[in-house]
Amino acid sequence: MKTGRQSFTANRPVYVRSSYTIVGPKEGEGRFGEEFDTVLKDDLWGEKSYEKAESKMHREAIRGAVCLAGMTLEDVDLMLAGDLLNELSASGFAMRYFKVPFLGLYNACSTFSEAVLLGAALIDGGAAKTVTCSTSSHFASAERQYRYPLELGNQRTPTSQWTVTGAGCTVLGAERPTAEGDRESRERFSEKMKAMREECLEAAKAEDAEKKTRTEAGDNTLFSVKGGAFDALKRRFIRAWRPECLADPVCDAAYERKFVAKITGGTFGKVTDFGIDDESNMGGAMAPAAADTFIAHLMDTGRAPEDYDAIFTGDLGRFGKEAFAHLLAKEGIKTDARYDDCGAAYYKAEQETFQGGSGAGCVNTVFNAHIIKRIERGELRRVLVLATGALLNKDTPLQKETIPGVSHAFTVECEEL
Amino acid sequence: MTDKAEYRLYVKKNSPRSPMVRSLFAAFVVGGLICCVGEGIRDGISALFPSFSEEEVGAWTTVVMIFLGSFFTAIGVYDRLGRFAGGGSIVPITGFANSVVSPALEYNREGVFFGICAKMFVIAGPIIVFGVVSGIVVGIVACLV
Amino acid sequence: MEVFLDYLKVFAVGGALCALGQLLINKTKMSSARILVLFMLLGLVLEVAGAFSYMKEFASSGVTIPITGFGSSIAKGAIEGAKEGGALGAVSGGLKAAAPGISAVVFFGFIFALVFRSHSKKI
Repeated sequence: MKTGRQSFTANRPVYVRSSYTIVGPKEGEGRFGEEFDTVLKDDLWGEKSYEKAESKMHREAIRGAVCLAGMTLEDVDLMLAGDLLNELSASGFAMRYFKVPFLGLYNACSTFSEAVLLGAALIDGGAAKTVTCSTSSHFASAERQYRYPLELGNQRTPTSQWTVTGAGCTVLGAERPTAEGDRESRERFSEKMKAMREECLEAAKAEDAEKKTRTEAGDNTLFSVKGGAFDALKRRFIRAWRPECLADPVCDAAYERKFVAKITGGTFGKVTDFGIDDESNMGGAMAPAAADTFIAHLMDTGRAPEDYDAIFTGDLGRFGKEAFAHLLAKEGIKTDARYDDCGAAYYKAEQETFQGGSGAGCVNTVFNAHIIKRIERGELRRVLVLATGALLNKDTPLQKETIPGVSHAFTVECEEL
Repeated sequence: MTDKAEYRLYVKKNSPRSPMVRSLFAAFVVGGLICCVGEGIRDGISALFPSFSEEEVGAWTTVVMIFLGSFFTAIGVYDRLGRFAGGGSIVPITGFANSVVSPALEYNREGVFFGICAKMFVIAGPIIVFGVVSGIVVGIVACLV
Repeated sequence: MEVFLDYLKVFAVGGALCALGQLLINKTKMSSARILVLFMLLGLVLEVAGAFSYMKEFASSGVTIPITGFGSSIAKGAIEGAKEGGALGAVSGGLKAAAPGISAVVFFGFIFALVFRSHSKKI
């Protein structure tokens, strides 16, 4: 149902069936490191390029979330996905593996909230029953596309942010999850994981045994021609799946949610451009968009900031967070400890990322790993997530364009399971 | 909503800045050391090949420095040095080598032809173009004078 | 002692040039390619003005290892080419002088790009 100028309120509850995250090694050492489902040991993940690795992360995040929801791909009606690469190649290529209708979305780093809003609206309107919302970003692929080659010895400015290597997926459904269903799907999931790990372990063991017999036979060559090139390739592929590449999934069978999160509405954002032209200062460029959407949300819904237990902006960074508070203060709205920024909080100070994390995977992985779990534990009752995006490409700053920002907000509330 | 011009001023004033003293010091020390390495190579070459003219020694020194810059870029060390030193590792000729080799490495996944060869000068292209054009201008002026 | 003094001069002058580059980066947020072009042109202008040879005498590698040395050799080559080879020399002299550097960078870049891959970063 349309509410006010830019917002909508769901007529029926849209439940978060499950969520799943995969992040890179640096993110695993960050502040939310303990909460991610899978932390990769190597951000190439056995692939030949970082773009392929990002696509694989995206794919596996969707697979993990669907499996955790106790569903098969047959049960998913629609996949909403997006990323930062040209022509959405990470999501599009990931979708080759699923025989499910796919809608590609792009709103830079705010793509995740765009996907969640659209998914909720589609389910609310009855166009779909189950929707996956996923986004991904990868430091190395983003760096090449938006900035410089990885090996270039330039200095990052203190206003710069670090693109998060991460993919996450939320499964939204009209059907209410049940405690038994949850338990079952978690068990099935961890069995699947265990089976996969055992498979990997066995493959690794076989490889080690082969190496041993070869060494005993006096053959010290690293690459034996015995098995042929194909076997060598297969071994390489298996090595990518070896357990040391995958961390233990945190969402074990023991995890039980007391509450279930539901999307109750949100606000679609307008493109806002305050004339910031420094492409290394995204926080400053996006803060006006976040403030604009936030104010519109409060006006449309008639709520006050106090009605929320927590308010998260996407990836404004440390300075952007200040600028956001500054803009709101001008409008007479006070921000307090309940407000935080996912990007600014993402990394620890000693990880030297200057402003913190950014990218389509930033707000996504924080929401799916951290915020949703706090809601499911019952710590937060009503949360507003304002993902923010800067709508520029590599050429527009060279054409002396300023940086437009956009921000979409969605509300998550909880319900006892 | 807030006045846009006022917000721009706020951003300009309050954005974090590079630590001036520390970054200048790092650039000075690293840049100076790279130049000293170059001087050492120059001395070494002129001691080994006494028959070389000064120009030849200079050219060989450049080639060796470019080799070092390329090598440390390829093994993934130069970008870390650059993160620390900034201008200290950009301004020397090794920084020029870095700006050619780093895109070549980055785009080798697109193949030799359209990756390495086509993208090699995406960063260093202006240096070659400015060098050639200004060289021709200087030459023509020298011809006329 | 004299050798030490020579190296000290190289260190001081080379370091000062690099610090000047860093100052420009801090103040103007210039990209590294712009810095390189600017310093190359600086070397070229100094060579044309005749100041570069004095600086070279004083600091040796302190001014030739920074990209200013590249610019100066282009100017020098162009002027010499103009004197010896007329119009054709004037046009080709600059690039001829820069040839060792450009050849080396293309060659090593090509070889290393065939063998190595770019690495992701954690810091």
